Amino acid sequence: MQTYDEILARIRATLVELFELPAQSVRPEARLLEDLEIDSIDVVDLMEHVRRHTGRKVTATDFRSVRTVDDLVNVVQRLLSS
Amino acid sequence: MSCGKDLIRIVVAEPEIIARAAAAEAKGLRSDAFYWRFVATALSFAVFGCSALLLSLTVLPLLRLLPRERCQRYSRIVLQRGMRAFIGVMYGLGTLTYEFQGTQRLGRAGQLIVANHPSLIDVIFLIAFTPQADCIVKQAMFRNLLTRSVVRGAGYIGNGQAVDMIEGAAATLRSGQCLIMFPEGTRTRPGQPLTLHRGAANVAVRAASIVTPVYIRCVPTTLTKSEPWYRIPLRRPHFSLQVGEDFELGAFHDMASIPVASRAFNECLRARFEGELQRLNGYTPGQPAVARPA
Repeated sequence: MQTYDEILARIRATLVELFELPAQSVRPEARLLEDLEIDSIDVVDLMEHVRRHTGRKVTATDFRSVRTVDDLVNVVQRLLSS
Repeated sequence: MSCGKDLIRIVVAEPEIIARAAAAEAKGLRSDAFYWRFVATALSFAVFGCSALLLSLTVLPLLRLLPRERCQRYSRIVLQRGMRAFIGVMYGLGTLTYEFQGTQRLGRAGQLIVANHPSLIDVIFLIAFTPQADCIVKQAMFRNLLTRSVVRGAGYIGNGQAVDMIEGAAATLRSGQCLIMFPEGTRTRPGQPLTLHRGAANVAVRAASIVTPVYIRCVPTTLTKSEPWYRIPLRRPHFSLQVGEDFELGAFHDMASIPVASRAFNECLRARFEGELQRLNGYTPGQPAVARPA
C-alpha cells in the first residue's frame, strides 16, 4: 500500500516526464487545466500512462471528476487499492 | 496541362465577370443572379434533406444487414457518391463554383487529412473526393433516430468523450484507413486568428502514417458559423480547395512523449495553415497551385 506522498511523488515524476512541467508546479492544489495546461486530450495520454504503470483497468469514468493534482492522487490511490 | 488530371473542375467565371461582380459587391450591390441564387440555395438544402432522409430510410439501413466491414465499405461508397452528386446539384443550380486541386493524393492508407473549416459545406467536399474516408461527427448524430444508423453503418467516430474520439481515430489510422479532421474543431471565425485544438495533432503524432493538409478558401464567405443559410453572399461564392504537401512526422516521433510531440506538431500545423492561407489570399481562381511536391 503506497502512501499519499509516494503516489504524489510518482505523479509528479509522470507529469514532468509527459508534459515537461517544472516539478515545483505539480502541487496537490494545482488545477490540471488552468494551472498546468493539461486538457481533456492530454488526460487520454495520462490515462494510458497510469494504465501501463499500475496494470489496472482505467476508464474515462474514473477520471471524469479529476480537476486537480490532489484529485488525481486520490483516483490513483483508489485504483491501486481496488 | 500536366496537372490536368487532378484539377477536378475549374468552373471559374471569366475574369471580367468576377471583376464586375466584385466591384458590385464593393458597392453593396447584388449580382450573379442574386434572387435565383437565393431560390437555388433553398432548393439545395431541400434536396440535401430529402436525399439524406431517403437514403437513411432505405439503402443505408439495408446495408446494416451485411457484415460490419462490408456495411462500412458500401455505406462510405454511397455517402461519397451522394456528396459528389450533391456538389453537382449545387454547382448545376448556380449556388457556387469550385475547384479542388490534388485530389489524387487523398485516400491513402493511414492518412490523416487536416483542413481548415471556413464553411458548413467543407466536409461535403472532403467526403466527396476522398475514397473510403472516416470522419468525426457530432455525438448527437449517434442519438438522432434518423442519423444514427447512417453514422454507425459508415463506422464514423463520435466526438463525445475525448478518450473515445482519440482512441477511435487512432484505431482507424492504424488499420490503414483514411481519416478527415478539422483541427479547429468548429468553423473558422472570419477575421479571427487561427486557433487549433490539440486533438488532431495528438492523433497525428500518435497514429498517422501520413498527414496531409487541405487548404480551403471560400470567396466571398458563405455558410459561416455566424451566418444563417438564407443570408446569401452578394455574389456567387467560389470554393478553392488545394491539397498541400504532406507533413514530415519523423522529428515528432522522436520526441519525449505524445503530449510534448502533439504540442509541437500543433504549432507546426498552425504555422503552415496560417502561411498557406495567407498565400492563397493572393491566389487567382483557376490557376494551378504554386508549390507542389513532385
